[in-house]
Amino acid sequence: MSLLTYSVRRVVVAVPMLLSVAVLTFVLVHIAPGDPAYYLAGDGGTPAYYALIRQKFGLDRPLPEQLARYLWTVAHGDFGRSLQQGQPVLSLIITRVPATLLLVGSAFVVSAVVGVAIGALVAPRANGFADRAVLGTTALGSALPVFWTGLLLALLFSLRLGWFPVQGMMSSRGSPAGWARAVDVLHHLILPMTALAVQPLAAFSRLMRLKMLEALAEPFILTARAKGLPNARVMLQAARNAVLPVVTVIGGHAGALVTGAVLTETVFAWPGLGRLALDATLTRDYPVVMGVVVIASVGTVIINLVTDLAYAAVDPRITYA
Amino acid sequence: MRSVTSRAVLGIVAVVLTGAPLAVALQPARFGGALVVATSSDPGTLNGGITTASPAHTVADSIYNGLVQLDAQLKPTPDLAERWTIAPDGRAYTFTLARDVRWHDGQPFTASDVKFTYEQVLLKYHARTRGGLESVLESVDAPTPTTVIFRFKRPFGAFLQRADVTEAPILPKHLYEGTDILQNPHNATPVGTGPFKFKEWTRGSQVVLVKNETYFKKGLPVLDQVIFRVLPQASLSMVALERGEVDYLDTLPPADVPRMRASKAFTILPTLAGPGGSFCINTGVFNLTHPPLDNLKVRQAIYYAINREFMVLAVLGGLGRVATAPVSAGVRWAHNASLPPYPHDVARANALLDEAGFGRGAGGVRFRLTYIAATPQIHSAEVIRDNLRDVGIDVNVVPLEFTAAQERTFVRKDFDLAFVSYCNGPDPDIGVKRMYVSSNIQPVLFSNGASYRNPRVDELFDLAAGSLDLAVRGKHYREIQEIVWRDLPYFWLVETFRDVGFNHDLRDPQYWAGNIAERAYWVKPR
Repeated sequence: MSLLTYSVRRVVVAVPMLLSVAVLTFVLVHIAPGDPAYYLAGDGGTPAYYALIRQKFGLDRPLPEQLARYLWTVAHGDFGRSLQQGQPVLSLIITRVPATLLLVGSAFVVSAVVGVAIGALVAPRANGFADRAVLGTTALGSALPVFWTGLLLALLFSLRLGWFPVQGMMSSRGSPAGWARAVDVLHHLILPMTALAVQPLAAFSRLMRLKMLEALAEPFILTARAKGLPNARVMLQAARNAVLPVVTVIGGHAGALVTGAVLTETVFAWPGLGRLALDATLTRDYPVVMGVVVIASVGTVIINLVTDLAYAAVDPRITYA
Repeated sequence: MRSVTSRAVLGIVAVVLTGAPLAVALQPARFGGALVVATSSDPGTLNGGITTASPAHTVADSIYNGLVQLDAQLKPTPDLAERWTIAPDGRAYTFTLARDVRWHDGQPFTASDVKFTYEQVLLKYHARTRGGLESVLESVDAPTPTTVIFRFKRPFGAFLQRADVTEAPILPKHLYEGTDILQNPHNATPVGTGPFKFKEWTRGSQVVLVKNETYFKKGLPVLDQVIFRVLPQASLSMVALERGEVDYLDTLPPADVPRMRASKAFTILPTLAGPGGSFCINTGVFNLTHPPLDNLKVRQAIYYAINREFMVLAVLGGLGRVATAPVSAGVRWAHNASLPPYPHDVARANALLDEAGFGRGAGGVRFRLTYIAATPQIHSAEVIRDNLRDVGIDVNVVPLEFTAAQERTFVRKDFDLAFVSYCNGPDPDIGVKRMYVSSNIQPVLFSNGASYRNPRVDELFDLAAGSLDLAVRGKHYREIQEIVWRDLPYFWLVETFRDVGFNHDLRDPQYWAGNIAERAYWVKPR
């Protein structure tokens, strides 16, 4: 089967899955207690007033009808309008995507590269000082929830040391342009990115270390050494074999990173999709919650597909059947 | 969003709560520059005329004006209206509007904007203004470009407190007339008459307002920019304040206050105003339709059983005081200071329950109750659960997210006890009446949650609203308190405070009002 056929088949299989996600989310957000009319209009009104608001936004229709209308409009590429903000959901999401991509993308790359590198580097001297230090630190790192890590980082690096800003994506005062703007964003990015990267980095480095240890015990490594290959080449050979299962795990973490981004964005007031989703959930802004979930699901499907394809690139033995 | 979102309030502040004078040193120089205000969530809309939600008003109230403004003592002072007269029979208010007021787009502001806003926006879409005025307001007339007359069906003494920018922001007729008010694009790009003009809104991040150079109040505003920065995480907002990333926080987390006080870099002022309301009282609601809570002795026993001093110290970190009457002590002219106390008295509570015929059964339990509490109030609810266990009442605390808790209490009425922060607002007619009058037993948030009915109380509220004389109104409100204190449809726990904190170089923020920055200035160049 060609790569193209494989990809198309994966996409087709994803359609019913995405539909189920949409229906399930729709039902869940609608059965959760909390009436959007109160969030929209505030308190102090009469029952007739809230009934009017519900009617204006179509919230008075039976749930199956609302669901059918929603799926119909989404199928036509229209995610509706935010109840709270009155803006098209798609444009709200699109304006938030860059911030989340930057946060999740940088955390993803840093945790993958640094995690794999650490695992590969400590494995040859297993049980040495560096190895034990890494094992201890990463055990702690994987146990710390992201919001806690975020708070600790903020207290240390913002409050105590004063190195980094604690909130937002850009300084509120002044509006730097060009490189100054990029530096400003980077300055704001470091803490949330680190907070988000800690857990996956710890997981990747521990897995890479383990797989590297297994690879180093393989007969082909012994053969390579016997043939007199330089140590660096031997390590590279081992790493190349060890990294394969790690790539799969890294791909699987993409979804977890998006989940972590919701918390990270809330802690650091990072104006991304996660914050949008959380705010929308708290104010029962159904169209926005739905839009974020559906689009995030599509994103996860794509990332998983890309991971599988990357798998083939790393290991030519893999074929698609 | 708490009950009465009126931001008007209480500057009783330091004077009442700490005994210290406000002591703002005279500063010869006033500087503009930017003020960065932290706000806990994105405003959603910038039209304060269609919502009472506090995130929207936090920002929008600096862009618009009301007919009046409330000063720190809650007295109405001129805003868009430079003066007003009230007919002797209390049924007509005539406002003379300020001259030479212009909308931010340069169009002149006139009385027809006021008439339009009330008739087409506020009386339709502003929940509290609609709820409070639609049954009493007869007409709004604009006989000249600078005169507006409000006529009422009966004498109405509580109108001015409802006419500030939070309760009744005036919108531009020329931009809203003939449009779908709820979907009008100017809800996101507002054009007001206020001290600051809208510049940009980065959703989820910040709203930037700039100085209105042609503001109709001479010499104001001083600041060049006000930036409302969205910071959802309270503890990191403190770090942002300490680092100077933001200049103003309208609620400091209690745990951080002692540390902040030690620093000379911040001004910290306790106030009875909350970001979502003023003169708030943490209140327990008895569901009077659920036995045994229809029994007065049981209600009295529950009130005696609760250790409210402990609640103030252990749960609120001292940011509150035991409530001694149904109307907050902050509303001095209406508060009844001579009601007998309900001290923490376990023996008396047990005796009352025995008298009421609820002896202890298996495990020492007399009966069981379900207690609905929103998650921010869960610790207070836990204190009550423990206190009531001591007198043999087994309480099942049901923690729910904020609005879900209010909905279960007020709409579904599926509770025995509920924990609600009722805010009195600048006038008892706004925030107190709704808790007691029988006409407000309806499935609406912050209504008469106890389902309390007393014809004399209904009558007294009407009498109080119908008088223009504060002394007469106060007398009626004090009598109401005597009655409900005796009937106990609620148990009033604690009057809550908050601490507002801002950069020490900032002066004159109107932290009790919606429009916090109109008069504010820096004493050093920024």
